[in-house]
Amino acid sequence: MAGQSRSPLQFFPYLTLAAFLVPVLLGLAGTWLPALGYLPTIGAKSFTLQPWRDLLDHPSLPGALSATLVSGLSATLLSVFISLWITTHLYKTASWSYIERALAPLLAIPHAAFALGLSFLVAPSGWLIRLVSPWLSGFAHPPDWSITGDPLAISLTITMIFKEVPFLLLLTIAALNQLDVRRTLWVGRSLGFQEFKVWTRLIIPQLYPMLRLPVLTVLAYSLSVVDLALIIGPSLPPPFAVLIDRWFNDPDISMRLVGGAGATLLFLLITVFITIFLLAERIVVMLSRPLLTNGRRRSPLGRMNQGARLAAITTMAASVLSFVLLVIWSFTGSWRFPDAYPQSLSLFYWTKSLPLVAGPLATAALVGVLSACIALVLVLGCLENERSLPQSRIDALSRGSIWVIYLPLLIPQIGFLFGIQTILVRLHLEGSWFSLVWIHLVFVLPYIFLTLAATYRTYDQRYAQVAAILSGSPLRSFFRVKLVMLAKPILFSLAVGFAVSIAQYLPTLYVGAGRFSTITTETVSLAGGSDRRVIAVYALCQFLLPFLVYALAIGLPALLFRNRQLMKN
Amino acid sequence: MSLVLDAVEIYRNGSKLFDPVSLHVAPGRIITLMGPSGCGKSTLLTAVCGNLDPGFSLSGTITLGGRVINDIAMEQRRIGILFQDDLLFPHLNVFENMAFGLPPRLKPEQRRQRVASALFMAGLEGFEKRDIATLSGGQKARVSLLRTLLAEPQAILLDEPFSKLDRQLKESMRAFVFQQIKRLAVPALLVTHDIDDAADDNILELSSGSYHA
Repeated sequence: MAGQSRSPLQFFPYLTLAAFLVPVLLGLAGTWLPALGYLPTIGAKSFTLQPWRDLLDHPSLPGALSATLVSGLSATLLSVFISLWITTHLYKTASWSYIERALAPLLAIPHAAFALGLSFLVAPSGWLIRLVSPWLSGFAHPPDWSITGDPLAISLTITMIFKEVPFLLLLTIAALNQLDVRRTLWVGRSLGFQEFKVWTRLIIPQLYPMLRLPVLTVLAYSLSVVDLALIIGPSLPPPFAVLIDRWFNDPDISMRLVGGAGATLLFLLITVFITIFLLAERIVVMLSRPLLTNGRRRSPLGRMNQGARLAAITTMAASVLSFVLLVIWSFTGSWRFPDAYPQSLSLFYWTKSLPLVAGPLATAALVGVLSACIALVLVLGCLENERSLPQSRIDALSRGSIWVIYLPLLIPQIGFLFGIQTILVRLHLEGSWFSLVWIHLVFVLPYIFLTLAATYRTYDQRYAQVAAILSGSPLRSFFRVKLVMLAKPILFSLAVGFAVSIAQYLPTLYVGAGRFSTITTETVSLAGGSDRRVIAVYALCQFLLPFLVYALAIGLPALLFRNRQLMKN
Repeated sequence: MSLVLDAVEIYRNGSKLFDPVSLHVAPGRIITLMGPSGCGKSTLLTAVCGNLDPGFSLSGTITLGGRVINDIAMEQRRIGILFQDDLLFPHLNVFENMAFGLPPRLKPEQRRQRVASALFMAGLEGFEKRDIATLSGGQKARVSLLRTLLAEPQAILLDEPFSKLDRQLKESMRAFVFQQIKRLAVPALLVTHDIDDAADDNILELSSGSYHA
């Protein structure tokens, strides 16, 4: 497919850029203008700094900001620390293969479903307290503690850590595959260095640059998350992003200007913190450089294998227990406090809820399939187009474009969705399938690109050339040989994209204009005060879709190529 | 200080890779182990180094300077290893790569001096600040050797160290390596499948059969 001077493929990079950058940039502009007092749809047409004055005077602002900053920063730093700690202490030990196998299912659990399950575990009326009541704790009623929704946002922080550690571990494993870890450990240890020292001096300095952008996405996400914060975060005041969301949906439409100012402030805050992280990385590198070669070979920190194992087990146990509790609650008839087990089981809540979730499930699945498939076509087009370029330009492009690809993941969603909504209303496109699929595409596309690009670029193109010569058709070679050989990574990237789409909460709300409810928007909206049994059914349904698709993406190639030894890698 | 292997055998999942190997490498001497690929010669080096993968097991004794090192952790054996790839650390410059293995007791000034004189000896004077990516293949190979030597190993293992160098380079690198080993008077064990790489001292064929040197 390469080499033709006028290949239609050359339009793919532009098309792709337009597909996911135009909405982001327009959305940002559409949010900044109201922040300056300009929002014609509500009759505000003069530029003024009044929204900023209102924002800064708002009584909830200091509390909301501190909840956001404390939870977001500590969740990011702790997630990075814990995932590196687990890696340095457990890499290639007996526990490591369990960790590797557990990651995909852990990541398949949507954030919302996980947070709900976790709240069933740790809430004052949750299972952990039921286990020790009343024989140990003496509680005949749930204690009056604020564990979930605590004002310091500790439970929100912990929930984010549980979800971010597996994410960072997965990317760490991918990055380590590009380094010669085995022989670096060998050389380092034969020079007399304890394994932990080899990690901190030789491997992490090479690893972190590859994790830099994922870490920044974790930072941006933790500082701007809405759905998790609604489920398990503090409410009076809520984290800043939730407060902004409330302002945008305030019955008093003039609050939209304050929302615009808030969204802009959050965008600026995240930009500032990303800059601080990048600067801090440089400073750490600068200060630690002389230490790298001081020759010290041992460190007491190197002997904390047990702690690392505990951290890994806790992360997994939290997910497994949350999931099990969701299953139990969904089949519960009645379950009074402080019993550790339900008094009766029943199918009632499944049969009652299934007709209600069928619609939202179908909507979510359809949007997920459409956005993932469109994104895949765009990504394949871009990657295939790359091959017509000289290698030096590909390297430059992949270095330069990586920040662009990450952009939608680094900008807070609440920072540009309102702007998109305003523009869609102007164009009479709000609440249409077209715009809903498009906005999902914005978030799905980066993930598909990031999961697929590395494998796709290392494909041995000679297979495709041989096939093209044999079949006389580059197209047939592409579809019959290249795509089939790459079926496994392609299907996996589709599954990742689909799961990302399913989990979208804010984009669906802001662009759907109330006309679309997906399983995720329904589940989050129930979280506030509904019956646990209903919530459990919804949360499981939310988990069901990505789970099925991941299973398909992993199982299908294994089944199709079961007699092909060389397709197993 | 000598490196002694006494009736060393290696098993993979219970099956023996080669018949017992016994050898005695005196300080400054180089023994070459030859054999076709897959005969277990590199595995023997990993065993001496202390890096046998799980699934392999070892019998016999390995002694370095009179001390049995079978059960000593790799990082405490003080046995340096060189591969066909230079394995220089890409995030460090030439000086940092070489100073990495220097003993911690040395003061900064001493560290600088040791690296500078090692570079001088290798004809790489003034290369301290260079990014390793800018070095030629032969320069990298020399820096890699110097890094191993500066760590003051008590024995050196060479795993096909010249096989990626072109013919001319191979000759000069081989002479340089052997000269350094003699100068430092450490025992060395070299494995290769290429007779041209071998040291003149002593050559062993490794296949199934028992050998003594």
